[in-house]
Amino acid sequence: MRNMYTAGIVLLSGLSLAFALGILYGEATDRWFFGGALVGALLMAYSGIVLLLRKMGIIGPRKAER
Amino acid sequence: MSTGAGIAPSPPRSRYGRFMTGVLRGTLKLDVWINKVYPADYNPLYYTGGLSNLFLFILVLSGIFLFFYYEASLVEGFASVQYITLGVPYGGLIRGVHRYAADGFIVAVLLHLFRNWFTDRYLFSRDNPWISGMFLLIFGGFVGFTGYQLVWDERAQVLTAMFVGMLRSLPLIGDWLARVFIGGAGVSDGTLVRALFLHIGPASALYVMLWWHYLRLRHPKIWPPATWVLASVGLVFLLAGVIPATSGQPAAPAGRPASFPMDIFFLIPFWLLNYMSPFAVMVLLGALFTLGFAIPYIARREAPQEMSVRHAGVAQVIDGNCTGCELCFFDCPYNAIAMVPSPAPGLSRAAANRTWLAVVIESRCVECGICIGACPFEALELPKFLERDVQAQVLEAVRA
Repeated sequence: MRNMYTAGIVLLSGLSLAFALGILYGEATDRWFFGGALVGALLMAYSGIVLLLRKMGIIGPRKAER
Repeated sequence: MSTGAGIAPSPPRSRYGRFMTGVLRGTLKLDVWINKVYPADYNPLYYTGGLSNLFLFILVLSGIFLFFYYEASLVEGFASVQYITLGVPYGGLIRGVHRYAADGFIVAVLLHLFRNWFTDRYLFSRDNPWISGMFLLIFGGFVGFTGYQLVWDERAQVLTAMFVGMLRSLPLIGDWLARVFIGGAGVSDGTLVRALFLHIGPASALYVMLWWHYLRLRHPKIWPPATWVLASVGLVFLLAGVIPATSGQPAAPAGRPASFPMDIFFLIPFWLLNYMSPFAVMVLLGALFTLGFAIPYIARREAPQEMSVRHAGVAQVIDGNCTGCELCFFDCPYNAIAMVPSPAPGLSRAAANRTWLAVVIESRCVECGICIGACPFEALELPKFLERDVQAQVLEAVRA
């Protein structure tokens, strides 16, 4: 399972990089809706990474809640 | 063994009670299912209030941006929104973020309402967040409606006419309310100024109501976990970019459009006008909200006497055992425990050097027993539900 989570994080990280490049492209070409949509996609990819890190036990819960 | 202190609560007797028990079980099953996908501390259903607050925050920030460019007049209203959408860098995106965050806010608020209703989190001293929550819902819905007015396209024009018709259908005060709403006998520049005020004023009041909403909650979950913050903000940006918010045709004084794009989150009452008279819609809305306000008082499943577990008496501090550690003080969600300077040392060894003493504020105590669980020194008890009785009942149940 841990390997699957790791693969998921790698995949989402790659997508995040692509989204970030897309944002730059949107900004350079004044495609504001395109760039804005990719900002949203980037944030959603980040949320997936945070979730997978949590499921792997690398982050959270807080010490007091363990 | 103390009488009247059974482990299982009395079965609900009414049809409503059985229905509510059914939806409670369904809600808890949904929790268990979601907890298999997400860790329990990331379960979004535990953060519906925090998500509402997050969407409100997004609305405020994007609204401030839009406010810089918006002009509240019949001539400039539509044009300024078009300029924001097409002329201002990222203006159309922010308009879309404002639009979809409003939908997210209403969805999160409704989820929050139904979840707390189905899980009984509105009874006793929780009536305060329930009532303030109803005000938040009403004001939030109204703010959404006035937001549609501000665009001042054909839809806004029809909505304004329909709402004025609904106001005028009210006896005695209807005409006066309609004049106040549109700023005179007919629609004028003043109408949009008032719409702007009725958009921003109640939206600001939402934060006063939030303060009221949190007032009696000791540890409110004001903010969702990071993953849900990122996902929610990301979703509204994604939607705003992929399906941009648009206006219809500009409003025209002679225009009489027969239909307009529907928004199921804010414009349902106007859809009802297809089937009901304006007065009937107003009566229906009034009845719904009255019922909503009354739920904590009329919909109790069981009388306190029937809820043997819950009717355990106000918590009592066992003076001699209290060490003044403050654990109960921090854990009580109802702020029903105060720490006072200790008048004398406690009797137990642990309590001998205490400087504080816990005191229960009886008017706030809901007899939930959380403080008993918080106290490691056996310094708190529910007088009709003593720990030794619980242990005896558990043993009895195991033997049977």
